[in-house]
Amino acid sequence: MNMELSRRQFLGAAGAGVAGTALGAFGFGDIEAAHAEAIRAFKLVNTTETRNTCPYCSVACGVIMYSKGDLKKGEQAEIIHIEGDTDHPTNRGTLCPKGAALLDFVKSETRLKYPMLRKPGSDRFERVGWDEAIGRIARLMKDDRDANFIQTNGDGVTVNRWTTAGFLAASATTNETAWETYKVVRSTGMVAFDNQARV
Amino acid sequence: MSRKTAVAPDPTAIGNVSSPPFVRLPDPASLFSVRSARFRQLAGTGELAPYLNFLAQLNDAQHGILADLPPAEAPDAEALARAHAFEMPPLDRNAIEGDSALEITFDRLFAAADAIDKPRAAAKALARVASADPAQRLAMARTLFTSTLPGDAIAEHIFIWAGLQVHFTGLASALDAAGVKPVADGVCPACGGAPASSMVVGWHGSHGARFCSCSLCGTLWHYVRIKCVLCGSTKGIGYQEIEGHGGFVKAETCDTCHGWSKIFYQDKAPGLDPVADDVASLGLDLLMRDGPYRRGGFAPLLAGF
Repeated sequence: MNMELSRRQFLGAAGAGVAGTALGAFGFGDIEAAHAEAIRAFKLVNTTETRNTCPYCSVACGVIMYSKGDLKKGEQAEIIHIEGDTDHPTNRGTLCPKGAALLDFVKSETRLKYPMLRKPGSDRFERVGWDEAIGRIARLMKDDRDANFIQTNGDGVTVNRWTTAGFLAASATTNETAWETYKVVRSTGMVAFDNQARV
Repeated sequence: MSRKTAVAPDPTAIGNVSSPPFVRLPDPASLFSVRSARFRQLAGTGELAPYLNFLAQLNDAQHGILADLPPAEAPDAEALARAHAFEMPPLDRNAIEGDSALEITFDRLFAAADAIDKPRAAAKALARVASADPAQRLAMARTLFTSTLPGDAIAEHIFIWAGLQVHFTGLASALDAAGVKPVADGVCPACGGAPASSMVVGWHGSHGARFCSCSLCGTLWHYVRIKCVLCGSTKGIGYQEIEGHGGFVKAETCDTCHGWSKIFYQDKAPGLDPVADDVASLGLDLLMRDGPYRRGGFAPLLAGF
């Protein structure tokens, strides 16, 4: 190790003379040279370990993702393994069967990468733009709410319910995102709703 | 009638919950003998065999003198309370001054090490520490406590370090693990020593947790993963390994302090020893030497790389 090698302390001229390494100092200098020669053929590879949150459900278990290649150093990174994070207080190293299969989730060919639309009557999904997707969702939600919003119950008491649409929000979010999601969704009167703020 | 049965699903019990203890104090009775066996096993593979066999015998010597040493005593309650109040490690390294037990340890270890089959340079260094007076030995111990080695007396200091290991392993084993609290990042919570390396363990009940290994007293302490062992930063941590070598030894690099430390994956290679495998993985040090990071912690057996 390239620690600080301080000046000699007391041994004076009787010392062993200048010896650069521990192996040299004990008289194993020749095997050190042989080892240095042998290792020259090998090279180092960058790997990364990254903490993240499992995206499946609102429990939000901690995971450690291992990847080959280092993005910081301009390399292509590829995830090679995912395991439960022992240091995470929620799951303490455990994962459910879905979480344990996260690597396949990441690498799945059918993984959703952009908004997809299956039109009524169609048998396949087609790619659409974000503006189109969000605009369409907003339009349909508004129409559905206008048609089915329940302002009062049978006794005439104000309830402001919207029971014909539901909302499922993300797990890996901050408290602030979860709070805001809750406020927006509940303000519309929506009843069927789940996100991380539940747990 | 109750519908509850013993097989009712309990989602909290899925998988194996890991609850690692904060410290695992060393057991002198097995520490050096297990390490010696690991050195011998590693000597069977690769060209470092002569050095590894020498270190195996040095560990045998450390193990051999344990039985006749006076039993170590835990610090008194007042010293423990003071250490706790000021967030200091319970073992006071300055207490070695005038500690007759340490002198006995040194004398017996150097006598036992005399029988080791070793090169002339090692024999000469041993003769020098064996004939050194207590003040000289104390001066060398103090240098070791600062995690430095004088470049022209490495072998002598390693012999002194071997004696200190025996002494402090005994002291640490006498502590109460429940009373040992974190002191600071990169500092042993038992004796204040620097970590030799760290390892991710596969022990039952602690699987996947990382423990730092003290270079002085052999205490293992739990340390959060993906966090620099040297400075405590969690930003810019990377891992480098030798291509095609199984990935159970890596260099954990930190872009904050520009240091690196060795991390072992004991969960993948159960026989791993944080000191023996450190020496056997010298190749990683050799390759890292050309990089931008400098190795931190304290690993005297690899001094100079």
